[in-house]
Amino acid sequence: MTTQTQRKGRPGLWVGLFFACAGVIIALRLSGAIKEPVGFILLALSMGLMIPFNKAMKNSSCTYSAAMDIYNRRMMVCSIGYVLGLGIAIVLWRNYELADWTVFALTLLPILPTFGMIWAMARYLKEESDEYLRHKSMMASLAALAFVLALGIFWGFLEMFGLVPHIWAWWVLPAWAIGLAGAQLWQKVRGA
Amino acid sequence: MKNRLKVLRAERDWSQQDLADRLEVSRQSVNAIETGRYDPSLPLAFKIADVFETQIEDIFLRD
Repeated sequence: MTTQTQRKGRPGLWVGLFFACAGVIIALRLSGAIKEPVGFILLALSMGLMIPFNKAMKNSSCTYSAAMDIYNRRMMVCSIGYVLGLGIAIVLWRNYELADWTVFALTLLPILPTFGMIWAMARYLKEESDEYLRHKSMMASLAALAFVLALGIFWGFLEMFGLVPHIWAWWVLPAWAIGLAGAQLWQKVRGA
Repeated sequence: MKNRLKVLRAERDWSQQDLADRLEVSRQSVNAIETGRYDPSLPLAFKIADVFETQIEDIFLRD
């Protein structure tokens, strides 16, 4: 895997556009202007913005290795699968009387893409040939893990003593992703 | 760990990107090594020595 560094492209534009789209879709859903399946489909479609984002990253001044490119593609596929899987599972579960084994199969729809995301992260660490970029990713991953553990323990005890409401365990993944983004931002600020 | 990467680069009139291309790593990696923020692995240190056609100990110095 070789490392590419070029001078064009505006990845921030596509990230901003994605969050704007997601914000509009969530607002429409909360206001009742669109129904649940439509919201999930629109959200999955908006994830297609990761395609131009990936291209912009390649052409930007940011360091962007071939392994990062493959990682982003895998994450895009998994993210679309996750949103669609979650949408299908929720809609079917709420509207039909289903047997336990069917419900179990439905839960796999959002679960498997998230396992795919974890697999994509593991493959990135394996495939990244630039040891400094790999080192940075591993440090950010460890910081994200520390964030999840701290948050989980903190919230868990507050919940045990009835101070905060219960949250589902699958929140570990979004919490981990927030921790990872925060750690990467910290690395950028410190010039690492 | 201190190093003489910047001096060796300057002697050859190479930019960080030139060195990065020769080492097949990112410019960010060269910058991190050069400024002492990251100590390279032994294989990469040998590769750097090969690129400059010298010994590892002539490039990397004890603190």
